[in-house]
Amino acid sequence: MPKNSKGRDIAEIIPDKCIGCQLCLGECPVNAITMEGGVAKIDPEKCIGCGKCVDVCPASSILFEKPRKKKTVAAEQKAPSISEYKGVAVFIEVNNGVAADVSWELMGKGRELADKLNVPVIGFLLGYKVASIAKEAIYHGCDVVYTMDDPLFQVYISKMYGNALTQLCNQVKPEIFLIGATPLGRDLSSIIATKLKTGLTADCTGLDINPEDRLLMMTRPTFGGNIMATILCRNHRPQMSTVRPKVMKMPKRDPGRQGEIRAVKYEGPAEVVPRIIETIPFDTDGAVDITRSPVLVVLGKGACDTKYFPMLEEFANLLGGTIACSRPLVEAGLLPYLRQVGQTGKTVAPKLYIGIGVSGAVQHQVGMQGSERVIAINTDPHAPLVQIADYAIIGDYLKIVPELIKGLKERAPALLKEGVQQ
Amino acid sequence: MHIVCCIKQVPDTTQVKIDPVTNTLVRAGVESICNPYDIVGVEAAVKLTERYGGRVTVITMGPPQAESALRDCLAIGAHKAILLSDRAFAGADTLATSYTLASAIKKLSTEDPVEIVICGKQAIDGDTAQTGPGIATRLDFNQLTYVSEIINLDLDKKVIRVRREIEGASQIIEANLPVLLTVELQLGAPRYASLPNLIKALRQDIPVWGVKEIGADPDMVGLKGSPTSVKSIFAPPPRKGGPVFDTSDSLENAITTFLDTLFQKDASILAEVLNPDSKG
Repeated sequence: MPKNSKGRDIAEIIPDKCIGCQLCLGECPVNAITMEGGVAKIDPEKCIGCGKCVDVCPASSILFEKPRKKKTVAAEQKAPSISEYKGVAVFIEVNNGVAADVSWELMGKGRELADKLNVPVIGFLLGYKVASIAKEAIYHGCDVVYTMDDPLFQVYISKMYGNALTQLCNQVKPEIFLIGATPLGRDLSSIIATKLKTGLTADCTGLDINPEDRLLMMTRPTFGGNIMATILCRNHRPQMSTVRPKVMKMPKRDPGRQGEIRAVKYEGPAEVVPRIIETIPFDTDGAVDITRSPVLVVLGKGACDTKYFPMLEEFANLLGGTIACSRPLVEAGLLPYLRQVGQTGKTVAPKLYIGIGVSGAVQHQVGMQGSERVIAINTDPHAPLVQIADYAIIGDYLKIVPELIKGLKERAPALLKEGVQQ
Repeated sequence: MHIVCCIKQVPDTTQVKIDPVTNTLVRAGVESICNPYDIVGVEAAVKLTERYGGRVTVITMGPPQAESALRDCLAIGAHKAILLSDRAFAGADTLATSYTLASAIKKLSTEDPVEIVICGKQAIDGDTAQTGPGIATRLDFNQLTYVSEIINLDLDKKVIRVRREIEGASQIIEANLPVLLTVELQLGAPRYASLPNLIKALRQDIPVWGVKEIGADPDMVGLKGSPTSVKSIFAPPPRKGGPVFDTSDSLENAITTFLDTLFQKDASILAEVLNPDSKG
């Protein structure tokens, strides 16, 4: 046990374990901790050996052995109002009159959490002429749908939607509130959490309940997906979380399911700003949304000869897929940014990801690690993507891809016929 | 016109690697940079002041070292930089961060009213995209997220028109000032700093503001002002590699074995996606 010159037992940081979250800096009562090179460092002369940093460290990176009372969760004063909050709410996102798939995925997850807590699943639905979507919500597992059906909500204006959902949260008081981590959901969730002054955990890939303390355990990738962190929101309600699309399972639709639909009147100001002048769908713009494609043929630095793009496109079409790429191809101006997979591009989770000449750097893997199956085609057997691929084919893609096209065409009819017979 | 850009210093993730033996993050020698989305926002702000006049103030919340990210912004034309650094800010989640930044913007507004705030769409280390909308909500500004182009700024009518990227479409949208924008990389790469500007940026004085200077409630910043807390961290289950088919001996054999395996193991996926009638 290390001691300082005053003979006090002091805490020590294990630099390899420190994740640089700075929680200990905020907790230290004597400002003995500083950040050095991305890790925390304790000044032994300033440390008073109170051990507060040890309690707060999520990575168990602080060595401290002095016997002391550990603060228990039960001892922490919970705000009395927390018990007023009941139920698992899900925001039902509507685009052009159609509910987003992620909303139903969350309805399924919400059902599972609500059953553990023995509370109802609540739907929050904003839009215009959305009665049929409210019914769909019930078919997908919702117990009570609160709707604000108003021309004001026909298109998404963040401020208005933020006001409306804040109003619903204040009236209904759900203990958990789940929102899809779509572009719309990400900016909306932050407005609501700020107005309600509650915690929000973005882009979760895992949600679970501890039935004892009723806390939602929200797990999300951090540090570029190299570390998973489980986040709690102990003393504020609702516990808010956004969840990436295609992470949770789509629940079975049951058109016989019964539930309740309650209309709520919007009480906030009808602000008409900002004004949408024009919406240009990608289809007419010649662009694509790679996040929606079930199959992606992703081109990397090793497959950037545009001469062969038509062949690769044929391959993608054969699999009902779309062409995407890694960052170097965008930087070289060969494919548009909209097709880029990775940290600074899109996060995708297709059923089938086929990387051709993609080395698979960390930043690329972050954007595709949710893929169901990964196939790597590469000349380099040591490429990082080859190491994580479910199937890897080593060799020249110019020879491999034509063989694959041929093979798939030969085998497809039999497989599809079999499928029909089943 | 006064524009404030909020930036964050982040580890340069293009340099972050995984140690293949220990499977841990190798952080040694990784440089800190200004978040790429944020610096694109600074460039856009500087361009706006070049065209319409006014000035750009850059702010960041972080440790003393974050000063270097501010200097990067001064070097490409920002007029003033302020570092929000205080031990009390440490351990902040997005709610506390947006409160701190919004408090600083309010303070800046007392000297020169802030009409536009620009933030990057998200930071590459946290990827939350929550701080910008949080600041807009606290300031009660209009917010335009995912902006890919600034089309027009009418200072007489106090209206800004931008293009923003939404799911499956892009949108041309107008909002009244004051407004907060969060910006995409398409907005345009930052310029290279000239040597004289670099030197000027290095010499410029950067004030450091703490809780007192921004007039913040100490209970609403840092760890104290953060409703969320990290319970635990763990390594994600690694994706395990599957069979490898080497074509160096026989292309035909390797492909046949591969397709045999794929059709056996993943027939259900293939049956769902295969489209043999496609024209290609």
